[in-house]
Amino acid sequence: MGSGPEAYPWGMDSPDGDGRITNGRSTRHRKIASALRRRTDRAWLRWVPAVAAPAVIAAGVLVGSIPARAGDVLPDKTPAEVITLMAGHTTHTFSGTVEQVSELGLPELPATGPTSGPASGDGAAAAVEFLTGEHTVRVFMDGKSKSRVQVVDRFAERDIIRRDNDVWFYSSKDNSAAHLTLPDRAGDLPLEQPALPDASHEGMPVPPTPQDLAARFLAAADSSTAVSVGPDVQVAGRPAYNLVLEPRTAGTLVGKVSIAVDGENGMPLSVEVMARGTEEPAFRAGFTSLTLAAPNDALFTFAPPPGSTVEELQPRNHTQWHTGPGLPAEPGTHPSPDQVEAGIKDKIRPYMAGTGWETIVRLTAETGAGSKLSAVLGETPLLAQAAVVVPGGRLLSTPLVNVLLMDDGRVFAGMVPADKLQAAASAP
Amino acid sequence: MLPNSLPAEAPSPRAPEAGTRGAGLSLLRSEIAVLFRRRRTWALLLALAAIPILIAVAVRVSSAVPPGRGPAFLDRITQNGLFVAFTAMLVSVPLFLPLTVGVVAGDTIAGEANLGTLRYLLVAPAGRVRLLLVKYAGALAFCLAAPLTVALAGAAIGAALFPVGPVTLLSGDVIQPPEAALRLLLIAAYLAVSLAGLSAIGLFLSTLTVVPVGAMAATVVLSVVSQVLDQLPQLEWLHPWLFSHYWLGFGDLLRQPVMWDSFVSNGLLQAGYVAVFGALAYGRFVTKDVLS
Repeated sequence: MGSGPEAYPWGMDSPDGDGRITNGRSTRHRKIASALRRRTDRAWLRWVPAVAAPAVIAAGVLVGSIPARAGDVLPDKTPAEVITLMAGHTTHTFSGTVEQVSELGLPELPATGPTSGPASGDGAAAAVEFLTGEHTVRVFMDGKSKSRVQVVDRFAERDIIRRDNDVWFYSSKDNSAAHLTLPDRAGDLPLEQPALPDASHEGMPVPPTPQDLAARFLAAADSSTAVSVGPDVQVAGRPAYNLVLEPRTAGTLVGKVSIAVDGENGMPLSVEVMARGTEEPAFRAGFTSLTLAAPNDALFTFAPPPGSTVEELQPRNHTQWHTGPGLPAEPGTHPSPDQVEAGIKDKIRPYMAGTGWETIVRLTAETGAGSKLSAVLGETPLLAQAAVVVPGGRLLSTPLVNVLLMDDGRVFAGMVPADKLQAAASAP
Repeated sequence: MLPNSLPAEAPSPRAPEAGTRGAGLSLLRSEIAVLFRRRRTWALLLALAAIPILIAVAVRVSSAVPPGRGPAFLDRITQNGLFVAFTAMLVSVPLFLPLTVGVVAGDTIAGEANLGTLRYLLVAPAGRVRLLLVKYAGALAFCLAAPLTVALAGAAIGAALFPVGPVTLLSGDVIQPPEAALRLLLIAAYLAVSLAGLSAIGLFLSTLTVVPVGAMAATVVLSVVSQVLDQLPQLEWLHPWLFSHYWLGFGDLLRQPVMWDSFVSNGLLQAGYVAVFGALAYGRFVTKDVLS
């Protein structure tokens, strides 16, 4: 036995039995060793896909997450021209998906809370629901008088189907339907939000669409607002003007509102509200997909499914609180312009203090909103925890909206700093 | 058993490409045949079929379920037997389906290694990559069979115990039984896609060990962990990346018109998981010293 080859145990296997042993062994050793080396050298190559696959995915996600810029493909327009374009839009036939995201730091309510059925619930709870979390709404419209709005919940859905004067409400959670016949004149009204002639039907909360919000924020834009047009954006695959409203007053929590206005037809595609001092939107509602073709007409036909409970509603006075059309409603309140019963509106219209961005909604105890909101807080302990006890009541504070619930039942709300609400509450 | 079922006339390593492809196909055929001949696979599928049967019998013998209680659709069962299938699929998504898929996927490589048959499989000219692909295809076949079993058993027991009629969708629209059956199959397909990512994870874990039970348990535990993480609001940024995130999204197939968003997102997510864990399994299995 030589001194070297013994180190390689495989050399022992097949002694050739003649003089060529040493020679043959060393050749085989070299071959095997080099094969082994090659194998270990190339072994890392086998892991390349394992590294490449996540890398490719990460790269794809990064590219996809870069805010879509249309690259200023649209002809330049002044802010006034963009506002005119938006005001004149006549797009009332489309199907689209609206996604609403609130990052207000409020705990999320159950998607189909105890107040989801048409029979129960109230507007205050609905307003709170849409102040939290994410909501997806599918909107189908064919002209002003045919519409269908689907609030998509997990394994549940709330529908509002309108064909001319017939409005159906359906909630899959408890399989209940409600029917409302609108007064004749309602069909002719120039509805800014044609989908929802009476979205304020109690307990059938619908998050505001970009159109509602755009109209509301524009109405709030007064002389104290800097209006500009930012670089073009891409919303739902459509190039859009980016109209930016920037309140100059320090009396509001709103830092910036940007409205994406479709470059082609002037339709508001998305609304983002940035709280003061942040770049990330605290609230966003926008189309994630939009088709301008007429939806299938069968969508607007609704018959209560077998086994459902059906309630016949009368067009009635709204007992819930509303914000007037000229007000920067905090996102999430009901969008109903409420033209149907404009006369009654003044009676229940909450008293408002301040103007423009600094508007404070003040609800007296008689409206019952305070007790309803308190009830909502009672039902959701998480939300109750978020409410801070302040002198005379509780304060629900978010970066964008403050709501002050007084112990005497009054409610103050607005996109203003909390001390302004307290000042309004203590004012005579 | 498996080595015996390998094609005896397997072409030699120098055979043309078509020959090895044929070997791959017959390997796949034998893999699937072996998988579905196993008593364990049948036990898993029978356990899954028992879920709708239990639900249907429980609803049949008990009083009416008040609406809004229990899992979605449960209150509809007495009016329409097809809802047994929908309810059963909903109930089986969080645990039962991942459990059975974890057992099958975790067994793919580790099971052969444990039986000592892995090296015989690798003697065949098919090669390690092809064996890995065939094993994964077998797991996918089970991913498809599992929700289909729940759906079919649910529809059958529902039709046996309750009246079958037009189905009310979440949107309040009513569809006829044939279309409802189509939606049922769509949901089964959705769930099969949903489980593809978990199968890839199980396949990778299976290449790490020669103890199949370890890989199975790890796979099932991961599926539970992923679902728990999905419930924590503090980890919201992570949620869209969890492979279980869209598992319960199949409700979107019960809307009118069908909402495809979650199907597409789910497909993309699962494809990502298949790519990452498939690549990991490849890296591990090809460089692994097969000793058993």
